[in-house]
Amino acid sequence: MNLFAYRQPIPRYAEWTLGCAGFLVFLGLWHILANSQLMRPEFLPTPSAVLAALIRLFTERDFAADVLISIGRVWLAFALSVVVAIPLALLMSTYRAVGALFEPFIDFVRYLPVPALVPLLIIWFGIGESSKIAVLWVGTFFQLVLLVTNDANRVPAEYVESGFTLGASRLQVMRDVIIPAALPNIVDNIRITLGWCWTYLIVAEIVAAKSGVGYVIWSLRRFVKTPEVMAGIITIGIIGLLTDQAIRLLHRRYFKYLTRSDR
Amino acid sequence: MTFLNINAVSKAYPSGDGQRTPVIDNVSLEVGRGELVVFLGPSGCGKTTLMRIVGGLEQADSGSTTLQNQPLGGADRRRGMVFQSYSCFPWLTVRGNIAFALRYRRDLTETDKQDIVNRYLKLVGLADFADFYTNRISGGMRQRVAIARTLAADPDVLLLDEPFGALDALTREHLQFKLLEINRSERKTAIFVTHDVDEAVLLAHTIYIFSARPARIVERVDVAAGIPIDARHPEVRESAEFFALRNRIQKIIRAEYQQSMAAG
Repeated sequence: MNLFAYRQPIPRYAEWTLGCAGFLVFLGLWHILANSQLMRPEFLPTPSAVLAALIRLFTERDFAADVLISIGRVWLAFALSVVVAIPLALLMSTYRAVGALFEPFIDFVRYLPVPALVPLLIIWFGIGESSKIAVLWVGTFFQLVLLVTNDANRVPAEYVESGFTLGASRLQVMRDVIIPAALPNIVDNIRITLGWCWTYLIVAEIVAAKSGVGYVIWSLRRFVKTPEVMAGIITIGIIGLLTDQAIRLLHRRYFKYLTRSDR
Repeated sequence: MTFLNINAVSKAYPSGDGQRTPVIDNVSLEVGRGELVVFLGPSGCGKTTLMRIVGGLEQADSGSTTLQNQPLGGADRRRGMVFQSYSCFPWLTVRGNIAFALRYRRDLTETDKQDIVNRYLKLVGLADFADFYTNRISGGMRQRVAIARTLAADPDVLLLDEPFGALDALTREHLQFKLLEINRSERKTAIFVTHDVDEAVLLAHTIYIFSARPARIVERVDVAAGIPIDARHPEVRESAEFFALRNRIQKIIRAEYQQSMAAG
């Protein structure tokens, strides 16, 4: 087996082994550095101390409830983002006038730093759940619209024209040609934007929350509980990794036709 | 007995500097029912644009197109198009692609639809590949799927835009004769766009030779008068008639080309 074949796939088990090895190298370096007396434990606790803190968080603090709250916020806000972004993006791509109307404004909002909008969103939505959802929505919606518009634009003209010459109406071309043609790329962009959602979640939970992963991390910081802070960060990483893999799995299952050969 | 008419069609494209570059200059022609007409001309001369206007995929600036004396509008099932690039839907299987042509037909039962799909699968020789996704089959097979799909929609006119341009010589010849066979057995009226003189002579009942941009008809060649439709078999390429016709057309194109270079 050649692991370094130019632009060629490698076996599945090799993918997994190398992926795990990447984590092990990181953990090893961390372990050596943390035990080397170069760093004080308040700055860099050992991996085992962080693991112990992670277990403590779940057993002593009911951290699972915070994790679930955070996941709920991300998914609700992201779902609201997707259901508005996809229809709007399809319209923007199909009708140039709709695109011309929204694109400059969306581009403008897209460049505003989300943390800078947090005070404004708190004034508008208060400090309840709605302001957190609003932060996440603003953070992902405007990005997603432009990405999906681009996906729809890249559907070949021949597909659309074939649809019309095969007797499909405009609505049918949209439903049966443009959407299925763009869907694999849309799902990929959903996967990527969902990751950004977690970034904004922590911002939202640090500023105004009494629950959630971000809130826990921020409140433990005040007691310099570095292992717990790192354990909280790692939890987010693990959730992200799992979500990402789940969407990739769905992608492989539902868009089987994209792979040239069965693996 | 004209079936499809192109009446004084002209078109120009905006050319960046505020001017409009004419691409089609006052073209009129008639296509009879069951006739296979070839538009022959240099690349980029506007012959594809003319065919797209017939297909309703582009609009003429002036002039009109009619089918059985009814004016034609935007794209619909009456004019089926086979594109130069592979236009099969990758999310559907070979069968699914052909069935797409029947998807919106309310006048057919599910059994009718299955029968039609099976018939066209067989006609283009892809019955064994029915359940393959189209990116798992070769370019030639994909082009056969596109042809089968277009035929399954049962259009009045078949529009083919250099459909065999990207294929190897053997596959191309195979599909050329397949097309002739289909044109004969299904009595399908067809317009075929190409810049390949041999292909034009082999396939056409009638060839319209177009000038370099803007497209004007330079000459109408009645190929069927010289080489009967029934005589179109692979050996016909070596016949004296084929040779003579081919050379005559080549000469017309060359003269036209030199004239346009001298003028431009």
